[in-house]
Amino acid sequence: MDQKRHSRKTITEDGRLMLAKSEQDGVETVWDRLEAQQPHCGYCELGLSCRICAMGPCRIDPFGEGPQQGVCGADADIIVARNLGRMIASGAASHSDHGRDLVEVLEAVARGASPGYAIGDEDKLRRVAAEYGVETEGREVLSVAGDLARAMQEDYGTRLSRLGLLSRVPEQRQALWDRLGITPRGIDRETSEMMHRTHMGVDNDWQNLLLQALRNALSDGWGGSMIATEVSDILFGTPQPVSSRINLGVIQEDQVNIAVHGHNPIVSETIMRACRDEDLLQKARDRGAAGINLVGLCCTGNELLMRHGIPMAGNHLMTELVLVTGAMEMMLVDYQCIMPSLGRIAPCYHTRMISTSDKAKFPGMEHREFHSDNAAELARELVEQAVDNFGKRNPDKVSIPSQPVDLVGGFSVESVLQALGGSLDPLLEAIKSGKIRGAAGVVGCNNPKIRHDLGHTVLTSRLIENDVLVLDTGCAAVANAKHGLERAEAAERAGPGLKEVCSSLGIPPVLHFGSCVDNVRILVLAAELAKALSQDISALPLAGAAPEWYSEKAVSIGAYCVASGIDTVLGPTPPVTGSMNVTGLLTQGLEDILGARFAVEPDPEEAARWMLSRIEGRRKGLGLDSRQV
Amino acid sequence: MRQVVVHPERCVGCMQCMAACAAAHSQSGFLAAAIRENPLPAPRVHVGSGRYGEGFPNRCRHCDPAPCMTACLPGAIYRDRILNTVLIDPSRCINCASCAMACPFGVIRYHRDPWVSPNRAVAVKCDNCVHRQTQGLIPACAEVCKSGALTFEEPEGAMKRRTDEMARRTAGYVEQERIGEEAPGFMLLRQLKKRAIQLTE
Repeated sequence: MDQKRHSRKTITEDGRLMLAKSEQDGVETVWDRLEAQQPHCGYCELGLSCRICAMGPCRIDPFGEGPQQGVCGADADIIVARNLGRMIASGAASHSDHGRDLVEVLEAVARGASPGYAIGDEDKLRRVAAEYGVETEGREVLSVAGDLARAMQEDYGTRLSRLGLLSRVPEQRQALWDRLGITPRGIDRETSEMMHRTHMGVDNDWQNLLLQALRNALSDGWGGSMIATEVSDILFGTPQPVSSRINLGVIQEDQVNIAVHGHNPIVSETIMRACRDEDLLQKARDRGAAGINLVGLCCTGNELLMRHGIPMAGNHLMTELVLVTGAMEMMLVDYQCIMPSLGRIAPCYHTRMISTSDKAKFPGMEHREFHSDNAAELARELVEQAVDNFGKRNPDKVSIPSQPVDLVGGFSVESVLQALGGSLDPLLEAIKSGKIRGAAGVVGCNNPKIRHDLGHTVLTSRLIENDVLVLDTGCAAVANAKHGLERAEAAERAGPGLKEVCSSLGIPPVLHFGSCVDNVRILVLAAELAKALSQDISALPLAGAAPEWYSEKAVSIGAYCVASGIDTVLGPTPPVTGSMNVTGLLTQGLEDILGARFAVEPDPEEAARWMLSRIEGRRKGLGLDSRQV
Repeated sequence: MRQVVVHPERCVGCMQCMAACAAAHSQSGFLAAAIRENPLPAPRVHVGSGRYGEGFPNRCRHCDPAPCMTACLPGAIYRDRILNTVLIDPSRCINCASCAMACPFGVIRYHRDPWVSPNRAVAVKCDNCVHRQTQGLIPACAEVCKSGALTFEEPEGAMKRRTDEMARRTAGYVEQERIGEEAPGFMLLRQLKKRAIQLTE
């Protein structure tokens, strides 16, 4: 009975077992709180509530009996467009601020003011610097790094007319953005302008608002997120295929367990180095532990997995349940997607919760602020405290479920090129011959409104069965890996063409492309494929999906994918359906101007069919063989 | 028998009961689809605004004797004794508005309705969600109300609570303090709204 009840919440075994334990332990989880919130406010779900100014708050009666305009006179179209624009502004700001933090570390490294960090990939530094027009020939690595950091900081400002990395975008797409007036000029500028335009009494043309929303999203995809990924590679190394293991089974009963949760590798990388410190390992052994076991959660976990093979405990909806194992000595968080409930759950066990960023404090957590000058030292101090906490663990409360699943992570544009022998031609040939029908990005979060991991894994399974290569990131990548789809053996689950290609290269049919800022790796690969074929991205047999999205960042990602020419299907419905004009533009009208559009489909089987039909349609457009879906 | 009980002091004016009522009386039963239907479903509960902007969910009291029933010449209005609910038979309704004139609370409307009469305007009012109750669900307005302004409970229980509240109040426990304790932010908002409106008077 309990088993069945928990099965309705998650498809994962470790999740079900820990849900049962959470009930025994009296721990409230995200699913309980979702239930308590039912029913959700219909006005908000429709996007028809407006809290922007103090003449309101206002709502539009969707039945037409009550008010049809806010106090200012904004109708449903304006209110929905403004709300959507602000969601995208928040999402773009989150990714871009994450990128800015990395650029600041890069700049500090260049000044020698950042003892815990170094340049991890000099080749990539020089390549990216050259793209920014920084002189690299015969120059000291740190002076190149300083110039690159300053050039990137210019991208955040207002002095440019277009972002530096737009040089990576196919010419046709750049020309289209110029025509539409949506070429992103500055990363912070577009977010700032979005907020300005949605202030009462500024932009009240819903179409014009949505165009700025797209420009804002592009300032994330080809700006803030792209900088975040590139600087992470420069500082910590560009990912190469690496083996690891995944699910709550990676937690070790006989070791000191430390989890890192959040997004930026700045903190988690220093924690990882401290966990490998011989003095601290000896101290752990002295305390009766067999070692120090670092595990990842969410995207900072993905960052460590991609570069170092650090095992992954779980995705967004597992972040509370990882504490319920009772075996976690410490969890360190930075920012984004960290549920404030964690600080209330930890005291049920012995787990110490540490917040690390000046911009993200949480109730019930100890705040120990990381900065580039103190990071290495503070990381050692905290890991030592985690070791000290091992003795406080209550064995009666410990339960570690499931056997971990193997996976291969660490795919990047660079490592894919390497696997293909230095050129994209083998991939293009496989697509042209039809062995691979196309490629799909399956990305985004978990959302308790969707059965945990079901959306990602069913959608991905259907795509690979139909010979579509899947690139996944974020919580989607974690879900697919737990489902065994990121092992080379998973080629057996792919259609015959994809199976043949994967087997010959020894790669899985589902390639773990990293964290959620790493969606830009998919953009770069799509742009490279397009340029190789002298086509726009919108002509390629590509599609994207966010089957279990919840966050504003995902809305920005979806919007930059569509604006870049990639059809994107969303699982949960975004709050736009209060305006049929906005809904119609997103799901139909955008196709005419951008060559790509959104779809909303909570059923992953149907979503897969939609993506396959779009991919086959694009194959037809390219003059390639096309299947009926 | 459980009934919908109105606690006006707790109404936040979000009008969710209206949307839920209309959706519950739509063809599809779902808000997102219901707002595209023809005829559009309409709520049978209506949130009014008090002197200082307080919300008030105005709902049929299912009076006994019911003035609307007495006023209805064709005999379209009758009482379901099991659920103690005053109902309207749309096939008998002649759309004469006598019931609305007789209703002391203004809860009877006239329109085409996807639920009872899609092609012809008739008198429409709260039916206590009889269809939901027979499925073991509670009336949609009470289910959706998150602030406790509409509850579905035994009237005796609600009355007992009221009696206890009165007892506490006579012991020097003023209502303002009680609501302030339960929902300080809401109380603060009410006070600030009241002062702002008083400033305009």
